[in-house]
Amino acid sequence: MMKQIRIVWLKELKDALRDKRSVMAAMSYAFFGPLLMAGAFFMLISQLTSEKDVEIDLIGAEHAPALVNHLTSLGIVERSEPWPAGTQPIVLEIDASWAEHVATAQPAIVTLTADFSAQKQRAEISRVERAVAGYSQQLGYIRLQMRGIDPNAIRGVDLVKHDTATKGSRAAIIMGSVLIFMLLSVFFSGMNVAIDISAGERERNSLELLLAQPLSAQQLVWGKTLAAGCFAIFGGILSVVLIPLIFKFIPLHEIGISVAIAWPMLLLIMLILVPLALMATAMQLFVSFRAKSFKEAQTYISFLLMVPMLAVFGVEFARLKNQILYYLPLTGQHQALLDIIKGESVHWLALAVSGVATLLISYILIRLIGRMLSSEKVVFGL
Amino acid sequence: MIEVNQLRKQFGKVVALDGLSFNAPEGQITGLLGPNGAGKTTCLRTIYGLLKADSGQALIDGFDASKQPLEARRHIGIFPDKFGLYERLTAREQIAYFASLHGMQGQSRAEAVEQALQRLDMLAIADRRATGFSQGQRMKVALAQAIVHQPKHLILDEPSRGLDVMSTRILRDLLRELRSQGTSILFSSHVMQEVAALCDQVVVVAAGKVAAQGTTEELCALTGETALEEAFVKIIGTDEGIAA
Repeated sequence: MMKQIRIVWLKELKDALRDKRSVMAAMSYAFFGPLLMAGAFFMLISQLTSEKDVEIDLIGAEHAPALVNHLTSLGIVERSEPWPAGTQPIVLEIDASWAEHVATAQPAIVTLTADFSAQKQRAEISRVERAVAGYSQQLGYIRLQMRGIDPNAIRGVDLVKHDTATKGSRAAIIMGSVLIFMLLSVFFSGMNVAIDISAGERERNSLELLLAQPLSAQQLVWGKTLAAGCFAIFGGILSVVLIPLIFKFIPLHEIGISVAIAWPMLLLIMLILVPLALMATAMQLFVSFRAKSFKEAQTYISFLLMVPMLAVFGVEFARLKNQILYYLPLTGQHQALLDIIKGESVHWLALAVSGVATLLISYILIRLIGRMLSSEKVVFGL
Repeated sequence: MIEVNQLRKQFGKVVALDGLSFNAPEGQITGLLGPNGAGKTTCLRTIYGLLKADSGQALIDGFDASKQPLEARRHIGIFPDKFGLYERLTAREQIAYFASLHGMQGQSRAEAVEQALQRLDMLAIADRRATGFSQGQRMKVALAQAIVHQPKHLILDEPSRGLDVMSTRILRDLLRELRSQGTSILFSSHVMQEVAALCDQVVVVAAGKVAAQGTTEELCALTGETALEEAFVKIIGTDEGIAA
């Protein structure tokens, strides 16, 4: 029994390893996820760290050079280009009475003219407001000090802000997508091999002869599933190994995220992917053994790939939170991976249940394929 | 010995086999001669258990492939109707794969593969990948796969189709040699010449039934004709689907 499975497995593995297209496919999907993630992170970091200057119209700048310097130091500068069509100008006008008001310790008048309802400009307007308010506060402190009063006297409450979300939560979304690529890599990596050893076998007319050899259809299917499964898990492992490597090259500390996944955790992730790789392969073989040609199988499988993608992306972006997700195949592995990458504790029982459920589904699918190949209707397309 | 007893097989409304019976004894070449669509391939597929007969049975050395498929298949070598090679494997690897499936391993497998390669005069291409093999070379690989485990029974489905003269000669020589070693050989064909040249016994199949059975001479005597072709046409009552 095992011997026949091993013979088929080794032969298919050798055959597939010589197929450059299959090997490239397995590798490229594994690379695709981490690289996409790297790109997303670089964009996020550049967005968060290097804020662009706000360009506004400054009127009466000559009256208050100190204020203008303060604004410039906060990235608010005089506009040199005309405003694009459809955009209301943001105008900051410094009254000619500036020097006089400052000298007599009265509120100096500065007028901010802008469309306060414009969503796009809201951030820029509030930056200008904050900058002016900040300058106003500095001016106030100086005036109090000159009168011998501690400026802290006018601060009734000191609000200390602890930022727990913002940057972190945006990063979490990206990390979630990274996990999806890890999960999906097991679906993509073995796909080519799975098609080649099933529909391909039929297309090149070798299936009939193979089925007429002294091995059972079950043995044949197990051997083939293991071979394609090896490719699937290889792709999965590759993407898991690449992700921490890529993290090293991304200046994550600049946006205050630290993602350190320890090696034992990476090994755990690989282990979690193993049953999933088996199920992915079994699903693909189930579909493509019914196809008469490579092309037909590719069509079916591209539809089949939508299933895990929709399931995982759906859970991720709809922010579904339900305990049952921890116990199901695919979503269970997804949740476990999320917990691991967030540094939370793993629900071991749930993980075990979803792992066993995944293996069970794979087993049932493999049995079904075996039965299918014993049926003359499927084999000869009667 | 391959025994076929009263095989019946129906696909929907089409009766493919209608009580087919014959024997293919050891040390003989039995030809299954019939026009296209007579049920030859269906019969062979039933013998090695890929199709299940509606009634009747096919026995290989007493094993019924529908009940003990693995046991029955261990005793046969198959040269199928259509054969595909694994393009990325070398000829030697393909033959070794089939030897392994028949339970051979290690040194004895290597020797058996080497012997099959030698017998079919294909040592020169043994370690080349199958991509780019000619039709004749492909036939040799398929033939080597069928005989590498030295089966007592050899079943060939339209073996000479699409082969050139040299390849056909190699095939015939091999079949004669295996016959002299006591193998029971069953092959289907719709090519008259081939059957006349090779077979000890001809089973004429038409519409899923045995229309006549015997040596070439017996068939001719039966119909009062001198050439097998004429005899054949007389037996099945039409010359449709027959190649001279």
